[in-house]
Amino acid sequence: MGGKTDVWQGTLALMVLRTLETMGSLHGYGLARRIEQTSGDLLELNYGTLYPALLKLEQEGYIRSKWGVSENNRRAKYYELTKAGHLQVKKAAEDWEQATAILARFLSPAEEA
Amino acid sequence: MRAMRAMWMRLRGLASGRRSDGEFDAEIAAHIALHTDDGVRAGLSEAKARRRALIRLGGVEQTRQAQRERRTLPWLETFLQDVRFGARVLVKSPGFTVTAALTLALGIGATTAIYSVVKAVLLAPLPYKDPGSLVAVWTANPARGDQPLPSTPGDFAVWKQRSGVFEDLAPSYDSEVTLTGQGSPQFLLGYAVSANFLRILGVAPQLGRLYTDQDDAAGGAKVALLSDHLWRTRFGADAGIVGRAITLDGNSYTVLGVMPRAFNYPANVEIWTPSAMAPSASEDFDNSYVRTLGRLRPGVSIVQAQRTLNALETQVAAAHAKTDSGNRVMLVPLREQLDGDIRKPLLILMGAVVFVLLIACANTAGLALARNAERQKEIAVRMALGATRPRLLRQFATESVLLAALGGAAGMALAAAGTHTLLGLFPNDVANLNIPQVTQIPIDRGVLLFAFAITMLTTFLFATVPVLNAMRTGTGSAMKQSVRGGTASRWSSRSRSEIVICEVSLSLILLTAAGLLVASFQRVVSAGLGFNPDRVLSLEVFLPRDRYPSEDGAKRRLFVAETLRRLNALPGVKSAAATNFLPLSGFWGTTGFLLRGQATPKNGEAPEADNRIITPEYLSTMEIPVLRGRGFTDADREGSLHVALINETMAKTYFKDKDPVGEALNLGSAEKPDWWQIAGVTGDVKAFGQDQPTHADIYRPFDQIPFPLIAFTIRTANDAGAMTRTAEQAMWNIDPVLPVMKAITMNLLTAQTLAVRRASSTLIASFAALALVLACVGIYGVMAYAVSRRTREIGVRMALGAKRADVLRMMLGAGFRLAAIGIAIGLAGALAASRLLTSMMFEMSAFNPAIFALAAAVLGTTAVLASYLPARRAASVDPMQALRTE
Repeated sequence: MGGKTDVWQGTLALMVLRTLETMGSLHGYGLARRIEQTSGDLLELNYGTLYPALLKLEQEGYIRSKWGVSENNRRAKYYELTKAGHLQVKKAAEDWEQATAILARFLSPAEEA
Repeated sequence: MRAMRAMWMRLRGLASGRRSDGEFDAEIAAHIALHTDDGVRAGLSEAKARRRALIRLGGVEQTRQAQRERRTLPWLETFLQDVRFGARVLVKSPGFTVTAALTLALGIGATTAIYSVVKAVLLAPLPYKDPGSLVAVWTANPARGDQPLPSTPGDFAVWKQRSGVFEDLAPSYDSEVTLTGQGSPQFLLGYAVSANFLRILGVAPQLGRLYTDQDDAAGGAKVALLSDHLWRTRFGADAGIVGRAITLDGNSYTVLGVMPRAFNYPANVEIWTPSAMAPSASEDFDNSYVRTLGRLRPGVSIVQAQRTLNALETQVAAAHAKTDSGNRVMLVPLREQLDGDIRKPLLILMGAVVFVLLIACANTAGLALARNAERQKEIAVRMALGATRPRLLRQFATESVLLAALGGAAGMALAAAGTHTLLGLFPNDVANLNIPQVTQIPIDRGVLLFAFAITMLTTFLFATVPVLNAMRTGTGSAMKQSVRGGTASRWSSRSRSEIVICEVSLSLILLTAAGLLVASFQRVVSAGLGFNPDRVLSLEVFLPRDRYPSEDGAKRRLFVAETLRRLNALPGVKSAAATNFLPLSGFWGTTGFLLRGQATPKNGEAPEADNRIITPEYLSTMEIPVLRGRGFTDADREGSLHVALINETMAKTYFKDKDPVGEALNLGSAEKPDWWQIAGVTGDVKAFGQDQPTHADIYRPFDQIPFPLIAFTIRTANDAGAMTRTAEQAMWNIDPVLPVMKAITMNLLTAQTLAVRRASSTLIASFAALALVLACVGIYGVMAYAVSRRTREIGVRMALGAKRADVLRMMLGAGFRLAAIGIAIGLAGALAASRLLTSMMFEMSAFNPAIFALAAAVLGTTAVLASYLPARRAASVDPMQALRTE
């Protein structure tokens, strides 16, 4: 994969939610591009995997979708956060921060033995 | 919460399958278009940009698949697919489906219904403390028909003090009373029981308290305990009833408490009073009226106790030869005592229904086996096309489940209807049968599940065996075998034969048992009662001691004479009469007697006869014939010569060839004779039911011995039942406060007497018919399958010169051989089973060659008929056609 990283299990949902939170409403392709850009092109997303993830979030009621028209006049399905989605971003972000903080303690060089 | 919502959305996704597919295709198309646009903008050619977009997506079809799996529940979708497919397969062969489902339904329904009844009646826990060690103790004596009868207080006292096998032993005796001052007067079934009687049962009143040993002492307080039923119906469930005074037989009693609703021992008793046995009663070895309840010591078995008591009774008999000689003590577990007449028929029905279940299992097994063996080719093709084994197995399992679900649902409905019908087995107001009270029968879920599971398991097992078989032999050979169409595989043909043999033998056992029971029932019904029950109404009353004391015979005579006069005057009444113990009512009493010149026997074996007291018109009203001499007339009254009639049984037993008319009977003792001259001989009356032995009867005129228990019998011109109110009113004109114990037509009473016998013979006959039909279907299925498997072989045989008759004979012979083996096994089983039926036979032996032969013939014919159709089809095979098939 040459310097690019696969998406870790379970993190894609958080990325989607967070991206939708900052960008408002996006279609699937736009969302995928945006996630890659945000990662500084370090992530290489298999675009096909995005759609089941979106469907799962929609089934869980965190996002909703409706058909709209893109800037270059293509009909596309747009996704946006629901109220529950907004809450979930906050909660998931906190969980994630806590998890990384814990992991960071293990990975930082041992100061006192 | 969220997971639930997601699950729900996915379930909804199942329903909106196609529409969502289209929508997602549009979304993917948009994605690719947008991505391509970007590529073109970056300077790529349209085609190249599109190609890149597709690669980055990871393939349209893969994406679609991933999306679909997420949208719905894949396992559920497969399952639904299987169900749809299974349903289609089942609908395509309605013959198989209906037969198999019906078979399952009948097996499940019948088993569940009967077992539910058995459980409600025989297995329901008794509401008493440690009921396993409770026994009823009776005295039997060959001179008194060897039946369990009440004992004397003297015997009771000896057992209690000296036997050592009882933790406690308590006396009781029946004590009917009339309750007055509480609305209309009511006759109550009462029981005088000792204080420890209730302690032995371990019951506590729901209100108030039980009485103490002091209350129970001779001359103790007049106190009473009410049944829940009496408390509710007569006292409006008055919570303040305890301590109130009520009037029983004109005496004031204090209500001590109310017993719980579940307490019903002895059955139907409404009021319990202290037995108040006098200490002097322990010297009384003459009067048998004590009904004894005991609790065995821990560790003492009923057999041990019985042995100890009988050894003791032998000693007592030595000291009291006159009364106790020949006595045998009988211990009956309380459970059996309560189950009474219904226990045996129910157990036999339970056995019969297990057979039906087994036959049903065998039948569906055979059907499923035959059917799925036909599908080996289908299996092979599907495996060749890439179906995995688990996937195939799952599909066949789904089919079985579907079938079982169909059968199970129908079976459940059948069980519900069945228990409802079976409730009719328990007419709760039948005094002449000893059966427990059951007012509702809940369907037992355990057995429903069991029956369902066992039938489903057999279906499933036999449905999957051919599938597994096909899988093991592998794709190629299964296809080849099927195409070549040789003879059936040895395994499946052997198991099919075994199934047929099983069915035939089980059916034969059932058929024989049914034949025996039905033949017995027919004999009972046609045995005749000795009187004509058509259009006869009976009214039973009991003259209360306080208003009709035994010293005042005139008052009793006046009441009966006046009532009869009023009844006879009613329009629609042909004649009216009275007796003491109404035939079939369950009430009876006996009197000892001596013939002229006969000394009092040294042992207690003074002959006894049933004590029957009648008014002159009784014999003509009931249409009981006078065989010799004369009946009673109005001239046989108080003060005139004491006369009696005897029945034929008594005349034959005690007078042999001598003419009894003009002879005399001593109904007193040798020292104090009480002579009654025999005026005539009457026909026998089956006073205890057609299937019970006739006792010796002595009839005496009511006028000469005015007995307080009176049953008016009224023969009417039309519907006897419709006369009930009018007849009661006529009697109440004479005594407005006399309660009617029971008003019932003699026809209804007769029907009730036969209820258990009728129900059990009807049920077992229907089970046998069911078994026969199932066996017929099973044999037909297996034979038809064998023919279809051997079509090619038959073609070859015929091509080589076999005639149609040969083929027919060969196929019929195959069916007959199986039936013959089944019949041989079945006859052996039937012989064993018939021994269990001996006690239910009436005037015939359980080993009845005619019925055995008939059952075997019916079954043999059925088996041959069932294989005839397939055999004929085999014989009509066109050899060229047969060789070309497949």
